[in-house]
Amino acid sequence: MAQIAELLQYVATGLLVGGVYALMSIGLALIFGVMRVVNFAQGDFMMLGMYLTYFYALGGVDPILGALLTIPPFFVLGWVVHRGLLARVTGGGDPQRQMDAQLILTLGLSLVITNAATMILTPTPRGIRTAYATQAFAVGPILFNQARSYAFLMALVLAAAVYVFLTRTDAGRALRAAADDPEAASYQGIDVRAMHGLAFGTGIALVAAAGGLLATYYPIEPSVAVNFIVLMFVAVVLGGLGSIPGAFVGGLVIGLVQSLTLLVLPFQLQNTGVFIVFLLVLYLRPQGIFGRRARTV
Amino acid sequence: MLTVSGLGVTYDGLRALSDVSLEVGAGEFVTLVGPNGAGKTTLLKAISGSVAATEGRVVYKGRDIGRLRSNERAALGIAHVPEGRRVFPTLSVRENLELGSYRRDARAHRAEALKTVLALFPILRARENQLAGSLSGGEQQMLALGRGLMAQPELLLLDEPSQGLGPRIVEQIFETIDRIRRERRLTILLVEQRVVEALELCDRGYVLETGRVVLAGGRDALLADARVQRAYLGG
Amino acid sequence: MARSRGWLAIAAIVAAGLVLAFALQERYHHRVLTLVLLWAAMGLAWNIISGYAGQISFGHQVFFGIGAYVTVLLVVKASLTPWLGMAVAVGVAVLAAVLIGLPTFRLAGIYFGLATLAYPLIFRIVMDWLGYQEVAIPMKRDHPGWFMQFTEPRAFDLLALGVLAATLVLSRAIETSRLGYRLRAVKENEQAAEAMGVDAFRAKMAAYVLSAAPAAVVGAVYIHAILFIVTPDAVFGLLVISQTLVVSLVGGIGTLWGPLIGAAVMVPVSEVLDATVGDRLPGIQGVVYGAALMLIMLYAPEGLYWRIQQAIRARAGRGAAAARPVIVAPDDAAAPSAPIGDVLLEVRDVSKSFIGLQALSEVSFDVREHEILGVIGPNGAGKTTLFNVLNGFLVPDRGTVRLGGETVTALRPSALCRRGLGRTFQVVRTFPRLSVLENVMVGAFVHTRAVRHARATAATALAQVGLDDRGEAPPGGLTTLELRLMELARCLATTPRLVLLDEPLAGLSTDGVDVMIAMIRRVRARGITVVIIEQTMQALLRLADRLVVLDQGRRLAEGAPADVTRNPAVIEAYLGKRWLARMGTPAC
Repeated sequence: MAQIAELLQYVATGLLVGGVYALMSIGLALIFGVMRVVNFAQGDFMMLGMYLTYFYALGGVDPILGALLTIPPFFVLGWVVHRGLLARVTGGGDPQRQMDAQLILTLGLSLVITNAATMILTPTPRGIRTAYATQAFAVGPILFNQARSYAFLMALVLAAAVYVFLTRTDAGRALRAAADDPEAASYQGIDVRAMHGLAFGTGIALVAAAGGLLATYYPIEPSVAVNFIVLMFVAVVLGGLGSIPGAFVGGLVIGLVQSLTLLVLPFQLQNTGVFIVFLLVLYLRPQGIFGRRARTV
Repeated sequence: MLTVSGLGVTYDGLRALSDVSLEVGAGEFVTLVGPNGAGKTTLLKAISGSVAATEGRVVYKGRDIGRLRSNERAALGIAHVPEGRRVFPTLSVRENLELGSYRRDARAHRAEALKTVLALFPILRARENQLAGSLSGGEQQMLALGRGLMAQPELLLLDEPSQGLGPRIVEQIFETIDRIRRERRLTILLVEQRVVEALELCDRGYVLETGRVVLAGGRDALLADARVQRAYLGG
Repeated sequence: MARSRGWLAIAAIVAAGLVLAFALQERYHHRVLTLVLLWAAMGLAWNIISGYAGQISFGHQVFFGIGAYVTVLLVVKASLTPWLGMAVAVGVAVLAAVLIGLPTFRLAGIYFGLATLAYPLIFRIVMDWLGYQEVAIPMKRDHPGWFMQFTEPRAFDLLALGVLAATLVLSRAIETSRLGYRLRAVKENEQAAEAMGVDAFRAKMAAYVLSAAPAAVVGAVYIHAILFIVTPDAVFGLLVISQTLVVSLVGGIGTLWGPLIGAAVMVPVSEVLDATVGDRLPGIQGVVYGAALMLIMLYAPEGLYWRIQQAIRARAGRGAAAARPVIVAPDDAAAPSAPIGDVLLEVRDVSKSFIGLQALSEVSFDVREHEILGVIGPNGAGKTTLFNVLNGFLVPDRGTVRLGGETVTALRPSALCRRGLGRTFQVVRTFPRLSVLENVMVGAFVHTRAVRHARATAATALAQVGLDDRGEAPPGGLTTLELRLMELARCLATTPRLVLLDEPLAGLSTDGVDVMIAMIRRVRARGITVVIIEQTMQALLRLADRLVVLDQGRRLAEGAPADVTRNPAVIEAYLGKRWLARMGTPAC
């Protein structure tokens, strides 16, 4: 009995954490789905979102709200980064070269952001102290940490907002159309390049918000970027590159896997399960759960 | 409404079009036929802007649109229903249609246009909430046509609507095109491989072979001209 | 690139390295020199798989880390000298390369890059798990040299120089070998390479294994010369691959000079910055590297070497383009045709479907030796799908293909090419960065290993199509006709028995069509069987002995051209029933 309770506890924690991972991954999936760009700097923007939320908190703003407030500035930042950098790297027309080139570009961006943050903000870890970070809701024998619960709920709200945006607004549908078939989309009058900017801005804004939510219970330091970018990649590949609902499910699954791994392995190896899943997916079903058939050589 | 003069397109190192000139007057139905590889699709793409012309001009309603990108040309009222249908597979039938009226001038009339299109294609109404990717070829073609109509276009470019479809569906599609033509005051440029069906619908026609216009004339003249056959089968 | 010039350049670099090693005085300068040499070598190693073969690996530090860990662990556990330990490390790295490469090269495109990211992370975790979070090299005062623990910094310079020299030699050897040409072909256009007999999978594996070995050596030396303590993060971490990428990408990808330039520029810059402001601004190196990667991708994605070369060429090549001789249709009225022989290619009941589309249905026909067979049919008939099946790019759902009596149905294109089946493509697939001659050489390599022979065979093939004077030109400068002739020559260099020509006349002027037709007749006169897909009916009627008509994936008709084009069923397929009804069956 106690073992089941323990197992359920891990599952609960995994799901809560998975919700935030899901939000991060949606951002990455949106960017890849519309632009075919693998944004290596996604973790770094998340980290910046954490810091911005931290500074909001210093000013007395609750971090859950702070996370929401990261959305507008990061949207603009994302748009600018797209216009100024990504839109200029075309790889000479060859789609494979373009993907490689953009991956390297975003890798460079990631290096700059992480290291500049280390220089400017210093490596000292910071944290946001809230009353609810150390309290938990009890449902039977299972404890739901309050900070993680609020973060989870807000992540769901934001994910739902994205869903509504993509399915019920013209701009959202245009984004999906541009992801499906850019040429046909432009025949309908859709400006595909602007769609790319929109996708990138939204993707960055989402991951910054996720960072803010994460900051309610996770230490804030420049090096977190690297830890989470891998999780995001795996979640997105698991869900199917480019699928938004897939990324959402993928994030939840990764949260679960990470949490359940702790049943058998110590803390610093918690990502082992995640990597095993990654490799399994790549070799057994590269298109992920929701993706379409991937090319193999 | 549309004048193409001296158009040349080089594509992937191959010369796809050479010195092509044609005209489509307001309200006219013009058909372009020719064997595969003649450059018909390239011509439509050069008009709608997804392929850049290396020489020549495309003039639409008196304006040289050569420098405009394809979404800008669409905003002017040119609707291109592409070869192979190219519906958005992960969007529903309804969403595909709604996207058809993306351009600003068409948005205001969206609800009305949607009603008309669904009435024109009852099968789409039946499948309104299905994903476009799950429709059959014929249904997708009707969706693509409907999507084009949602834009309330002035010039409709149809690229091989019969491609890959069985004979009964093709008949239906051509019937619908004829109906559309009669019910609205649309200018239509149809590109097709199926010669007779396409020529029977038109006012005037052109025959394209290896990137050049080899024959032009009125509907009846072309239908009786044996040279059309030669363009396809040599001899 | 002249053969001897390359080796001379390497010798010059080694000499320069020696001079520097002895001229520099400060300990610190020696450290920078050692770093430059080591990172250049690492960049060269990476370049073998990512530059030459075009498979961008984001996880090459796996081999670096293996080199470091294996060597040090052997010192710690077995007191084994790292000079021997390195050899063991190389062995382990090679094994790892095979194990990683086997499943990973099956992934296409972005999945490959993502997969390579995962391996170093896994190794990090494994090392943590095994308890090797921090392995220090034990001091061996008795035999320092034996354990690579030199006090004299020049010794490390020389060691690093040795590693660099070895890697340079390896790179050059690959460049000038058959493998080098094949890798470049795979990088430029994998499908065309396969069709020309290059087993792309094998080539990539070979490159991967060869790139792993020097990386392991660099790792081993790096640990002994610079770090002294092995931690998972230091050797499997992001900084290693970033440094490798920076050095190679900034300098120039796909060339010997690239990593040398990149290392010579970037390493001193970052070391100086680190030394001067590194305390106040920790992470300045990362910023510089990141900025360098971004700037290079924006402004010179191929790297400084190629950018400079481009600039020089642009300035020099303003001279008048040599007047191109018009290729006159060769007089082959006298060319005797071998009589049409037995069945060479048998196609039986081939069916192939894709999602929602039956592309081919039970297609059967024979091709006889020495004939020219034309395959025609309206749009969507399945002609190119048929070629893709015959050529090995697609596996049919049902049916068999037999070449010269041997069943060849599911073989990959390179295997078919080696058995004598050649192919050209609808849109010419060149290897854009190889010269015309080198393009043709890729084909010639099917039957020879020696570069010399391949060059001679290629030159002959080019002469046969009248392009012997265009050998050194890049394919980008050729006309459509010349491109098609080059593709034909490349195919002929594989000494085929049968060639599949996919729309060889598309995009040609009337004169060009004449030349091409004459060439094709010549090809047949040399005893090669020809199967052509064409749209240009007029030309095919002149050329083909027989026609096979496909419509909607089925074989509709077969026979002499004149008969086939008057066949009502064929006319109906092209123009429709109603046309036929209007026109009636034409009188013969």
